[in-house]
Amino acid sequence: MGLQEELNRLKNGIEAQAPKEFVEIMHRATADLEKSGILDGTVKVGDQAPDFSLQNADGQVFSLKDLLSHGPVVLSFYRGKW
Amino acid sequence: MELDALKKAAGEFKALGATFIAISPQLQTYNRELREKKKLTFEILSDPGNQLAQLYGLKFQLPEDLREVYLKLDIDLPKYNGDDSWTLPLPTSLIIDQNGIIQHGAINADYTVRPDPEETLAALKKIVG
Repeated sequence: MGLQEELNRLKNGIEAQAPKEFVEIMHRATADLEKSGILDGTVKVGDQAPDFSLQNADGQVFSLKDLLSHGPVVLSFYRGKW
Repeated sequence: MELDALKKAAGEFKALGATFIAISPQLQTYNRELREKKKLTFEILSDPGNQLAQLYGLKFQLPEDLREVYLKLDIDLPKYNGDDSWTLPLPTSLIIDQNGIIQHGAINADYTVRPDPEETLAALKKIVG
């Protein structure tokens, strides 16, 4: 099973258990976000990626510039543990 | 679940000469917890206040009614992220080449749709190929 299939199963399971009004609020928020035009303002293929210096879990600093000196970088924005 | 898929993909990115990096707004302590629990082999960097996400155009704020739902579901964003901005990044995967140019992007407004690591891997193969 692919990742998205698994996520869909999880989502359906959560939505089956959560109160109906919670699910409605979640769906509306997603629809509003899609309509907000946020996707028009994101970085695009062909753009220069803005540099960064951020800390890992131990406080060690990583910059995009340094990472790129070793090869291409795959960057994934992730919301969190929950 | 997503992290397990990314963990697997991270090894394959590395075999192609690329570095996989995850970025999350949550506090370092939660990233450390996640790394240990999932035995992650890649770095998760903290993006306090989603400042980098904003620079990449990926930051959004949760509406008031959704915040209440999250709190009721015990998803305490201010606790995890260490600020009360109630902001998150759009789920996103980018491939950046050695010149710093974005060569591939998968960005979703629907947080239940996550970039598929397999697709990113296929794109990376084309780029480094």
